[in-house]
Amino acid sequence: MIEFIKTLISGLGLGSIYALIALGYTMVYGIAKMLNFAHGDVIMVGAYAGIVAFTSAGLPPVFTVFLSVAACTLLGVLIERFAYKPLRGASSLSVLITAIGMSYLLQNLALMIFGSQQQAYPQYVKLPSVTLGGITIDGITLLTLGVTALIMIGMSLFINRTRLGKAMRAVAEDRGAAELMGISVDKTIALTFAIGSALAAVASICYGLTYVYIKPTTGAMPGIKAFTAAVFGGIGSIPGAMLGGIALGVIEQMAKTYISPLWADAIVFAVLVLVLVIRPTGLMGKEVQEKV
Amino acid sequence: MKKLISLVLAAMMVMSLAACGGDTPASTGKADAGTKAAETIKMGGIGPLTGDYANYGISVKQGAELAVKEINAAGGIAGQQIELSFQDSQGDAESAVNAYGKLLDWGMKLSLGCVFSGETATVVAAAKDDDILLLTPSGSSDNILQGNDKAFRVCFNDSYQGTMAANYIKEHAITDKVAVLYQSDYDYSVGLYESFKAGCETNGITIAEVQTFTEGTKTDFTTQINKLVAADVKLIFIPIYAEPASTFLTQAKGKFGDDVYFFGADGLDGIMEKVAQDVTIADNVLMLTPFAADSQEADVQAFVKAYQAAYNATPDQFAADGYDAVYILKAAAEKAGSTSGAAMAKAMTELEIDGVTGNMKWTADGNTQKNAMAIIYKNGTGSVFGE
Repeated sequence: MIEFIKTLISGLGLGSIYALIALGYTMVYGIAKMLNFAHGDVIMVGAYAGIVAFTSAGLPPVFTVFLSVAACTLLGVLIERFAYKPLRGASSLSVLITAIGMSYLLQNLALMIFGSQQQAYPQYVKLPSVTLGGITIDGITLLTLGVTALIMIGMSLFINRTRLGKAMRAVAEDRGAAELMGISVDKTIALTFAIGSALAAVASICYGLTYVYIKPTTGAMPGIKAFTAAVFGGIGSIPGAMLGGIALGVIEQMAKTYISPLWADAIVFAVLVLVLVIRPTGLMGKEVQEKV
Repeated sequence: MKKLISLVLAAMMVMSLAACGGDTPASTGKADAGTKAAETIKMGGIGPLTGDYANYGISVKQGAELAVKEINAAGGIAGQQIELSFQDSQGDAESAVNAYGKLLDWGMKLSLGCVFSGETATVVAAAKDDDILLLTPSGSSDNILQGNDKAFRVCFNDSYQGTMAANYIKEHAITDKVAVLYQSDYDYSVGLYESFKAGCETNGITIAEVQTFTEGTKTDFTTQINKLVAADVKLIFIPIYAEPASTFLTQAKGKFGDDVYFFGADGLDGIMEKVAQDVTIADNVLMLTPFAADSQEADVQAFVKAYQAAYNATPDQFAADGYDAVYILKAAAEKAGSTSGAAMAKAMTELEIDGVTGNMKWTADGNTQKNAMAIIYKNGTGSVFGE
């Protein structure tokens, strides 16, 4: 039983990181109707920004966090402006290839600048672990869970209660009509990228504090898993991304504990296939009639 | 138009030829200015000098360079100076074979094989019909020397290491109940685990828990650590490389008791650099090795001093392997009286060498059996276990 709860907690921690990344995927897909495969690598950039800010420049933790978020947000907006915006009218295949290219560009730039050797993410947040009934929970895992929950609530309020959120929903629903209503589609999409990338920076901080070592390829696997989580939860849906991320993290850790680490990834993707067979739109996805 | 195309093609051919010409391996050994180039013996080495595993290749290269310098200063091999060229393979087998071909074209007579098992296996197979002795400093996988009777190694092989590890635990009465964490998609790790398991059976050691991970899951060890902690053992055998080991140890810090040992083999070499941000992460790491930099033996001390003076670093096992390999090649060439691979291979089985990695004799299959000790790390420094 203790083992089960421990696995569940580590699954929730991992799932929270997936969920934060998945939010970025799902928002961009919902609003810009494109798969931003470079999203995972934004996390890697955020992590290196943290290393540079804290370890190399010696900035205090608060500035380190701020700098990571600022760097990722700027990067997200720049990627959108220079790589994706010129392709707004192009076929979705061209946009997809550009996104994959951007992903490799970021990885190789990091390889050139930081080298292939792993670097340790500074552990600037030190929290005592909590022991409850024989189960010890890492402070960082609790922090990750708390931060993710807060962001989840904040994002829901933002999307549903603010004017900008309303604009985003409008663009997601019908870009042409939204433009006719006086909503600036370009600005809304840029804002989406900014928010998604800022969330990626938060994910990079949680990732760095939990798993410590950073390499140029660090973002690739969590990126793919988070994309899976977004599809699992229903791509385009914000609660779906959260649910999908958490579910994926828990399934992965359960599979590692009770079956074998060798099978963990296979099981994760098998569950994805199963969900998509039963509910093609994902757990929380809406059935939308395609207009012909 | 046709003429133009043929002109362009011709120009391209000339340029590609020029590119080939410029590609001769750069030599790092010092040839005596007085002797002619023809009078040097060319020695080649291959290994990862860049990329993820660069630390292993660089160590071997530096160890070999040091030995070459010493031998040249003492008069070389039968009066001939050694010229060393070390090629970068990034640990990739395909690049290693290309590098081997390049070295042959350059005129290599003595070969340090390759650093890694994978690349060694490919080059050993490719060099089957060449009359050249391949002496890998550190390729430890069991089967890589098969099919070529001119292939030998300086380090001990994997299954021997696994058995040695089990014997070591028994001999030093560390514990009789252990757990294992190994990488299930990596030959080196699996090979060591299999032989360790067999060794434990012979020695009456119980393996209470076996945990695995793969290349794709080597960033998160939470579930494995939970299970290993629950197994409540005094020693965890970790036959894995330094990089995943650093991740595992970082995440495990503070979760195990202070008296729990993490016992690994040669793959752990270089662990201190990987956890440089907090060296206490590697506390209680035991590493099975034939070489310890703080050994009191005179030849080891002389080597460590010379290495520190040259590279401002303490030599690890890979550096020691590279250093010994050069001296072994020298001894074999002198005994055989030529650099012919067949003659040197015969000489190898008759040699007995006292190197910095211990006393070595070889069997015809290329393997050597030597003693090993364990180094224990505490606060960033290693010392011989039990002393």
